[in-house]
Amino acid sequence: MSLDPTPMEPLVAVEDVHTYYGKSHILHGVSLHVDRGEVVGLLGRNGVGKSTTLKTIMGLVHPNRGKVLFAGKLVTGLPAHKLARLGIGYVPEDRRIFRLLTVMENLRTGLDRHGITEARKQELLDKAFTYFPVLAERRNQAGGTLSGGEQQMLAIARAMMLEPKIILLDEPTEGLMPRMVSQIREIIEVLHREGVAILLVEQNVPLTLEASQRIYIMEKGAVRHHCAASELKVDDAVVHQYLGV
Amino acid sequence: MTPVLEFLQAIPYDQILIQTVNGIVTGMILALIASGLTLIFGIMDVVNFAHGELFMFGAYMGVVVLAATGSFWLALLLATLIVALIGAALQITTLRPLIGRDPLTTILATFGISLVMQNYALWQFGPVARKIQEPFTGQFTLFYLEYPWYRVLIAGLSAAIIGAFWLFLKYGTYGIWIRATTQDRVMAEAMGIPVSWVYTTVFAIGAGMAAASGVLFGPLVGVNHAMGLDWVLKAFIVVVVGGMGNLGGSIAASIFISLLEAYASIWVSPAQAVIVSFVVLILTLLFRPTGLFVPTPK
Ligand SMILES: Nc1ncnc2c1ncn2[C@@H]1O[C@H](COP(=O)(O)OP(=O)(O)O)[C@@H](O)[C@H]1O
Ligand SMILES: [Mg+2]
Repeated sequence: MSLDPTPMEPLVAVEDVHTYYGKSHILHGVSLHVDRGEVVGLLGRNGVGKSTTLKTIMGLVHPNRGKVLFAGKLVTGLPAHKLARLGIGYVPEDRRIFRLLTVMENLRTGLDRHGITEARKQELLDKAFTYFPVLAERRNQAGGTLSGGEQQMLAIARAMMLEPKIILLDEPTEGLMPRMVSQIREIIEVLHREGVAILLVEQNVPLTLEASQRIYIMEKGAVRHHCAASELKVDDAVVHQYLGV
Repeated sequence: MTPVLEFLQAIPYDQILIQTVNGIVTGMILALIASGLTLIFGIMDVVNFAHGELFMFGAYMGVVVLAATGSFWLALLLATLIVALIGAALQITTLRPLIGRDPLTTILATFGISLVMQNYALWQFGPVARKIQEPFTGQFTLFYLEYPWYRVLIAGLSAAIIGAFWLFLKYGTYGIWIRATTQDRVMAEAMGIPVSWVYTTVFAIGAGMAAASGVLFGPLVGVNHAMGLDWVLKAFIVVVVGGMGNLGGSIAASIFISLLEAYASIWVSPAQAVIVSFVVLILTLLFRPTGLFVPTPK
């Protein structure tokens, strides 16, 4: 496989990945891919391995078998900080704001890096503060003092500071009020328009179907269903089978 | 005369003032040693038993550079840098492979390093204590004492080094990386922060601070291979009393304990005054195991 990214190859490809936590076998051969600029939904009941899939892509856990490719390049086994530098942003399910750092310092963890100009930093900050004005207001407040919704916005803004080519979004609307949920929905739209790919893990099926182009459904550590988002309806038999209410 | 008046007159005000100055001077040096220790613990959960030997190595590097160049300040600077580099090398070779293992392994590793360093120093420099000549010998009169300006300078310099380090932690990019890593190592890594290098840097900074205090304190105590033992023991006490990993707490505890010991030595011999720090340690462990200088966790 060529090292140069070609338009044909997916931005992220996961191929037959098996991941363990200690002795427990969690992912049993997961395969999926995300193209450049594409929003892909990853659905499934609790505990089927969605978060583990994202962690495997991010290099936070390393698979025993299978490959992860980024822009055609094998990245399996690379440490997470190298993947972040390559252009993968990670917004984990519990947000994981640096609670004692201020909002601004949280953003600086992604912003202060080699090869970025001051002007570009300012642009990125301005952009984040335009999308999330509340973060501008609270820029000198400790991250831990923000509300759940604000922390979610900070987690997304922080990932955006890396100028990622893809963002792995793990249940961004979990536990948020409806107003916040629609704001998250909007930001996904904005990122999509800007050409950032997103791998979206969600429990909110309608939102995922609306925001994504393609859908993967997982069960027991493997992908069981794959289709275009437009083929799936909220009350589809498939949705009932795998996500059941 | 009333008993109250008698009591007030019996208080040795002059001695108390002298001991206050002494306590602050020792406290600042101790704070400089303990800052590195508490930082290394706070960020990487490593109890560094080799810290006293890094202090001792710093003092010996000071002796060597001073003999070669004749400049105390150059000796201070070079000893700090050399020992920081030694610290980085030790961390990379010995502690980095242990990341994620049982903390007991790091205790054994750092204890091993301390033994090697002590015996190396004994072999290289011999058992006779060396002297570091203080950079100047001026004195001022404090009651019946001629008090050396150099001691006041040590306190000031230690405070300056700690202050500079605090500013670096607060405003520097690397400082933000260090604090982010302390709070959430995994998320820091996911934000592109090279966590294993942050560990190395922190260890190097801690080692450099220990070395700087070794050089600064050298003129007061003499330099020998076992000089680290006393200080590191006290630094450990301070780190526990201040709250493991709490930088501000360690500094406060350093001054607090040094002052108590200094006051106690008005009435008992300095060797007995050391008991004070153990008493504070035991009381802390009994009643506030998270440290005297942190709010009680809810
Ligand atoms: N750190 C861990 N150690 C051991 N088991 C884990 C760990 N994290 C998750 N698991 C287990 O792995 C399985 C998949 O978890 P996860 O990927 O978080 O699922 P999902 O995100 O789909 O809800 C679950 O059974 C969970 O209990
Ligand atoms: Mg999950």
